[in-house]
Order: sequence, then structure tokens, then C-alpha cells
Amino acid sequence: MKYIKPAAVLAVAFLAASCIKDEPLNTECDILAAELPGVELVASPVVENTSVTFTVRYDQLETTMAPRFVITPGATIAPPSGTKRDFSVPQEYIITSEDGEWSKAYTVAVRWQPAPPEEESVEYSYNFENARIATAFGGRMYDVFYETNAAGGEDWAWASANSAYALTLQAKLPNEFPTYQAEGGIDGKYVVLVTKPTGSFGATVGKPMAAGNLYMGTFDITNALGKPLEATRFGMLFGQIPISFSGFYKYKAGETYCRPDSEGKLEPVPGKRDMFNCYAVFYESTPEMEWLDGANVLSEDNPNIISTALIPDRHETDDWTEFSVPFVYREGKSVDPVKLKDGRYRLAVVMSSSQDGDYFCGAIGSTLAVDELSIVCKRNQDEE
Amino acid sequence: MMKLKRYMAAAVAMLASAYVWAQADNAGAASKEKWYKFEYEVNAGTNIGGASPLPLPAEIRHISSFSPNLNLQIGATVTKWIDVRKKWGVALGLRFETKGMDTKARVKNYGMEIWQDGEMLSGRWTGMVKTRYSTQQLVVPVTGVWRANRRLKVNFGPYLAFAFKNNFDGHVFDGYLRVEDPTGDKVEFNGDSRASYDFADELRAFQWGLQGGVSWSAYKHLVVNANLAWGCNNIFESSFKTISFNMYPIYLNFGFGYVF
Repeated sequence: MKYIKPAAVLAVAFLAASCIKDEPLNTECDILAAELPGVELVASPVVENTSVTFTVRYDQLETTMAPRFVITPGATIAPPSGTKRDFSVPQEYIITSEDGEWSKAYTVAVRWQPAPPEEESVEYSYNFENARIATAFGGRMYDVFYETNAAGGEDWAWASANSAYALTLQAKLPNEFPTYQAEGGIDGKYVVLVTKPTGSFGATVGKPMAAGNLYMGTFDITNALGKPLEATRFGMLFGQIPISFSGFYKYKAGETYCRPDSEGKLEPVPGKRDMFNCYAVFYESTPEMEWLDGANVLSEDNPNIISTALIPDRHETDDWTEFSVPFVYREGKSVDPVKLKDGRYRLAVVMSSSQDGDYFCGAIGSTLAVDELSIVCKRNQDEE
Repeated sequence: MMKLKRYMAAAVAMLASAYVWAQADNAGAASKEKWYKFEYEVNAGTNIGGASPLPLPAEIRHISSFSPNLNLQIGATVTKWIDVRKKWGVALGLRFETKGMDTKARVKNYGMEIWQDGEMLSGRWTGMVKTRYSTQQLVVPVTGVWRANRRLKVNFGPYLAFAFKNNFDGHVFDGYLRVEDPTGDKVEFNGDSRASYDFADELRAFQWGLQGGVSWSAYKHLVVNANLAWGCNNIFESSFKTISFNMYPIYLNFGFGYVF
């Protein structure tokens, strides 16, 4: 009897192991990495599920480029990697999986770093008038805010975690997502951020709530569950020196401040009240820390941060409340004009309906409304 | 626990009625010879095996751990010999048993669905899947018996099983989900992040299968039993689609019996 059980286990394991079939051909058709040989990039290529974005210097004149791609093993790409194409407009590539059953179109775009400003001082305003609908699986629709270029087209898009919220199956329409556009702001439309429950799927992955967020940067859905702090990549190229940050907000905290318990469910924290956040960070992008993320965006000891604009007296209010705060330099930090021209600095404006939302703490129902943000900049630090 | 007691009571009642049936038969015939045509055995043992898709689908790339758990069984068997030489017989059994397994497997492009409140998140999972399965069942085998020699009996026949306690849960970890299909968003699960599932309610209550094995008389009253029980139903209800392949319970049973 002593030997029978191990013997039987071996027999069953052997039976199972001997039945493992040959590995099927890959079904994925991804661009895994991209490069632009012979062209100086001012940021790492951003590779997303159906798009690749290269950012080149403002003085890059040649628009014909031959990007190279690393794709899923066994997959094919058309036109081939290394083909010369004119990137004055985005180009499409089709990747087909190894098994031939699946294919995906990628939009590959080259962005030009904004040219250094000619004015001494410039003001950027963000009014949240422009939002387009993005479609997630099952026909779910959410808002993506974007800013326009001189021609009125989309210049760049704000990032949010809406795409990850779609996975919770809690929302189908834009205003059921944590971040959406609403009518009736200071002037026209505005952005609403709401802290929302994430349902049973959210709880099984230990993330029982999702704070509404909106920020300059990119959202990496691949890391949304596993490494959520790293999923929010804050910051975009910024060629000027920000000096002040202003705008309007309304805020109502949800009833009960909660945190996730060991099973991923909401656990009330007595005596605690939720608070929103809305701030701007100007930082230097280095090879070691190309962008800031949820783990270090406001860290006191982050060596890359140059200056921050924080609202000191944030409070709950039913009326639009104006704020205007200066960018305060971190001790010993200054702006290097050469780095500024070379596109080494980035700016992140970050908004969240729950300031601890990146740790999945906050109150369900906390609602932040923001409108008419503005960043006033100047060209050179010397003028201070 | 109340439920368990009820089933145990039912089991005892069934055994008792089988005994009474046999006794009545004896009494009616009033023949000692006929009494000897029955053989009674109580037995105990352990089940080793698992619920497995057959054949293993290509999505399953590696089984990294497997534990059959300690599954006990107790039961009783009544054998009626048909011929005087006790060469051929028919056996009716009743046993209470647990079956289970813990597995950890690495899968590639494994179709999965997560349902909540009528909404579905579907996708393809590549990574690890941990599964825990256990069931407590009342099993009634009806088998033909052939005595090969003085010590060895061989049996084969169908069984019916009723599960009164089922559990099937686990989680996926260390991998990634492609939302909807292989072209969808890639969402990684790593470190502590995992998605758990519980399909206990989707397990089938009634199952049937075939069993066969041998019984060896070690001493006058003591027999050593070895049986293979092969389930012919998918362990899940046919309406359950989340797991795209059927899984069949296949268990080897080893145990001892006391023959009266």
C-alpha cells in the first residue's frame, strides 16, 4: 500500500504528460517593439495594441522613413519592416498571425516635437470641449478627451483608465465610466471624474474601486491589473517653462472612505473622508526614468522632478471654485535651456476623483468636476 | 452536515433493504445452498485520479503540479453467484466516496469567459491555471463478477453516482489575457494579481460511468481491491460553456474489504 499511491500518481501523471499535444501555432499578431533607424527620437517609441508612435525632433526635415518592427514570432507584417514610407501622414501596417487566422491593423505615426516658442510667454488652456468615443469590447463606449492642433484636428489625447474599467463589465455608456464629458461647465463642456465600484471581477483581482482619472501621458492597459502604479505613465513633451497652473473645480466626496481588504472587497475606514487631487508636475525625462508613474509622480525624493504646482486648500464645494497656483521649484533644481530645446522635459497635469485612488482607496461616488485649466509658461528661466 | 447525515441514513437504509431482500430470498427458499450464493463485503479505500479532458486539448501546454488528494471511500457490496461453482455472479454495491484533485497547469491561448450579472468578459488566457476539484458522492455500481481462481475475482460494469457536495474553483495567475480574441488588449496578471473562479454550481449532480477491477483474497475474510472508475459524463452540466472541453472523472481505487 505504501508504494501503490505514489505509483498510481506517477501513472496518472505519465498518462497526462504523454498526452500533451504539439504546441499550436501562435494566434497573436502584435508589434512588440519598434525603431526608426537613422532618425533621432526625443522619446521612446510608444507601442500600443493597434498603434505605434514615434516622436522626432522639431528640426527633422525628411519625412520618408523606414521604421523597423519586432513582431510576434511566426507572424508576418505588410508592408515589410524596413520599408521606406512617407510619414507626413500616419501609415498602416497589417500583422498576420503565424496560424494565419488572425490579423490586426496598426497605425504607425510620427509626431514632431513642438518647435521652441517664439513668444516670451504663452498660455495653454484645456477646456475639455473635445471628446471622441472609443469603443471597447461588447460595444462599450467611453470618452477620450483630446486637444486640437491649429488645423482643428486631434493633436494629442488625454489618458485615463477608462479602457481598463471596461473590463469590469460595469459600464456600457460614456457617462457610466469613471471619466466622461458633461455639459454645463464654466463655458461649454467639462470633465467629470467619479470613483466607481468595479464589481465582482474587480474584487477578484483585488481592485474593488476605480477612481476617475485624467492626465497627460499614456495608460498602459497591459499593466492595469498586475502593476497598476506603473500603468499610468505621466507626462508629455513640453518645450517651455511652466510658471502657473489654474482652473476651476467642484468636488463632492463619497459617503464612505474604503480600502481593499485581504479578499479584495471594500472595507470602510472609519473617520476618513475622501479628497480629490489635481496637480501639475514638470520633470526631466532621463533614460533611467523616462516618465513618472503612480509610484513616484509626487515623491519628495524623485530626482527628476523640477517643479510642481499643487493646490493646497482643496475642499468639497458645490460651486465652481477657482484656483491658481505657481509651479514651485524643488530645492536645487533649475531648467537647462539646452535640454529644454532638445525635448528633455515633460509636463504632467494629473486629476483624480480620489487622491489615493492609485492604491484603490477612496469613497465610491466621490465626484470631481474640472474645467478651464490653464498653464502659463515662459520661454526662458532667466526672465524670472 | 445535516445533509451529509441524511445521505448517510439513506445509504444505510439502502444497504439494509438489500440485506433484507437477500434474506427474504433465503427465507423463501429455506435453502442453505442458496444462502451461500450471496456474498457480503464491506470495504474501504482511497481514490486516486482526477477529472481530465480527453484527450488533453492543445491549449494545455504543461502540467506543473498534480495532487490527487486523499480521497476516502467506504462501502458495501452484495454479490449474488449465479452458478453453483461461484464462477459467475452479479454484484450490487453502494459506496460513499470523495473524489478530488489539485492541479496547476500552464496553458496557451485558452478560451475563457468571466460572467457577472449577465455580462460576459471573454478572452484567451496564456499562463497558469490552478484548479481545485472535490466531490462527495453516493455511488451505486452494478457489475458482473467472474472468479478467475480461488483468490482472484474480476468485475466490470456500470455505476451511477449522485454528488451531494461539489466544489470546483481556482484561479489564473502569472500570464496574460487577450480581451475577446488574440488581437484584443493584452492584460497581464503577475505578482499577486490573479483572477479567481468558482464553478461549483455548474457541476453535474448525477453521473454515470464504467468501472472494472480485481479483488484478491489475501486471507479468508480479507480482500484487497483495485478498481478503475471511468466517468462517461462531463463533470459539468451541458449548459456550462466557460470551459470549452468536457472533463471526465477517472479514478483508481485501492482498498481493503472484509468478506462475511
